[in-house]
Amino acid sequence: MVGSVSAPVSSLWRPESEFYPVIWQLRWPRIVNAMLVGACLSLAGLLIQNLVKNPLADPYLLGVSGGAAVVQLLVITAGIGVSQLTLFGFGFMGSLLATLLLLKLSYYGQLRPNKITLNGVVLAFGFAAFISFILATASGQQVKSMMFWLMGDLSFSQPNLLMPVLMFIALMLLMTQARALDLLARGDLFARKSGVDTKRVNLQVFVTAALLTSLAVAQAGTIGFVGLIIPHLVRLMVGYKHKKLIPMCVIVGASFLLMADTLARTVMSPIQLPVGIFTAMIGVPVFLWLNRRM
Amino acid sequence: MLTVKSGRFIQNNVVIMEDIECGFKSGEFWGIIGQNGIGKSTLLDALSGLSNQYQGSICIDQTPVHTLDPVTRARKISYLLQEQEPSLAFKVSEAVAMGRFPWLTSKTEDKQITEDILSLCRINHLKDRNILQLSGGERRKVEIATCLAQQADYLLLDEPLNHLDLVYKNHIMQVFKQYSQEHAVVMVCHDIEVVKNYCSHVLMVLGKDCYIAGTSATILTKQNLQRLFNDSSQLN
Repeated sequence: MVGSVSAPVSSLWRPESEFYPVIWQLRWPRIVNAMLVGACLSLAGLLIQNLVKNPLADPYLLGVSGGAAVVQLLVITAGIGVSQLTLFGFGFMGSLLATLLLLKLSYYGQLRPNKITLNGVVLAFGFAAFISFILATASGQQVKSMMFWLMGDLSFSQPNLLMPVLMFIALMLLMTQARALDLLARGDLFARKSGVDTKRVNLQVFVTAALLTSLAVAQAGTIGFVGLIIPHLVRLMVGYKHKKLIPMCVIVGASFLLMADTLARTVMSPIQLPVGIFTAMIGVPVFLWLNRRM
Repeated sequence: MLTVKSGRFIQNNVVIMEDIECGFKSGEFWGIIGQNGIGKSTLLDALSGLSNQYQGSICIDQTPVHTLDPVTRARKISYLLQEQEPSLAFKVSEAVAMGRFPWLTSKTEDKQITEDILSLCRINHLKDRNILQLSGGERRKVEIATCLAQQADYLLLDEPLNHLDLVYKNHIMQVFKQYSQEHAVVMVCHDIEVVKNYCSHVLMVLGKDCYIAGTSATILTKQNLQRLFNDSSQLN
């Protein structure tokens, strides 16, 4: 078994073993959550890149991460029962509020993808300033836990049913829209003239991507690069048809984050590093290499 | 029948055309001619049901085009845009098959129709190529093929011959003429010779509220063409 201490494989099924609770109450949920968060982020990235027609777009363009972080940091500062579940709840709320704000700003009778990009980037700057303000005024002990949160971290994540259920619903919905998403990748006007209800599909895509990202951020903080790189990687692997892209993004995204998280908790063991460091460390060279090939 | 009644077309808050009355029906091949910027593309945008920047009524058999739901509209109207938007790198066969989106036909049937269109448009040899690696003319052929695969009742073409070589121009005009036997085709074109040779009807736009429409023979007279270009150099 891979980890800070070596545990015999037999402890998996021997409740009297000292490792049994560690594996089933800490490791197992962490593995499941890493996979779910990875799948959510890469799927959201695929959707956002298609929506705003920009290869550099990532799920955090929706202002979701900033919104979640601001609310979560405020909660940590206030110190009101900093349990994992309250943080998840507040983070989810914060990200939904931020998304609603962006939706309101970019909606003119219908969603304007080019407005989303600009509004999203500007909103992110606003949130970043607010986050810096909170960090600058927080006490030393709080800053450390805040930094961990901001860099993206799975170590405290608790299993929760909302995530797999919503993920499943989103997947089913997206698979029915796979062909429409293909047409949208050839331009909004092309899709519209070919019979896609672009107004409805774009809104669906926005809401789905925002929900997926909110779940991921509330669960594990801002883990970068997964949502940016995995969709590009998957496109190189299977082409541009969403019927293949959607399931592959889920699989590759889940595997990638699990791998990064495994590295995060073993490389400098017993010290556990934030997983965001490893997604970037793998992500940056992979992306640069891809970009040379494209 | 696609009809325009007291049409008034607006672009960027400027009235482009006024008092347009015309009708396009199956079996007719219309050519729309007029100077640059006179509003030919604005007219096609409105006809396609994608734009609501007009007053008056544009109807297909009494239903206003912009109120049709997207799928029904795409089954009725296929629209070749003048310029294509940037796209991701789909394969040619995938791109052409996208024209089948509004139809609920089976996979095998879609595949068969796509194959037929690819050979009709003579781009069979390109079918596994990535559309972003094609030349301008080849890409235009793919766009035309996509519009034909849609098998709509009304085919709207905005300068379809852009980027195409002379031999292919003649071939694709034959294809459009064939298509117009059982459908209506409306084409914006700057090549008067092409319009004269292939179109059965012509809409000549001379000014903001000045246009003439009718069969090719009655419209493409020396006198009218002189009015259109203010000189007779286009004629021989």
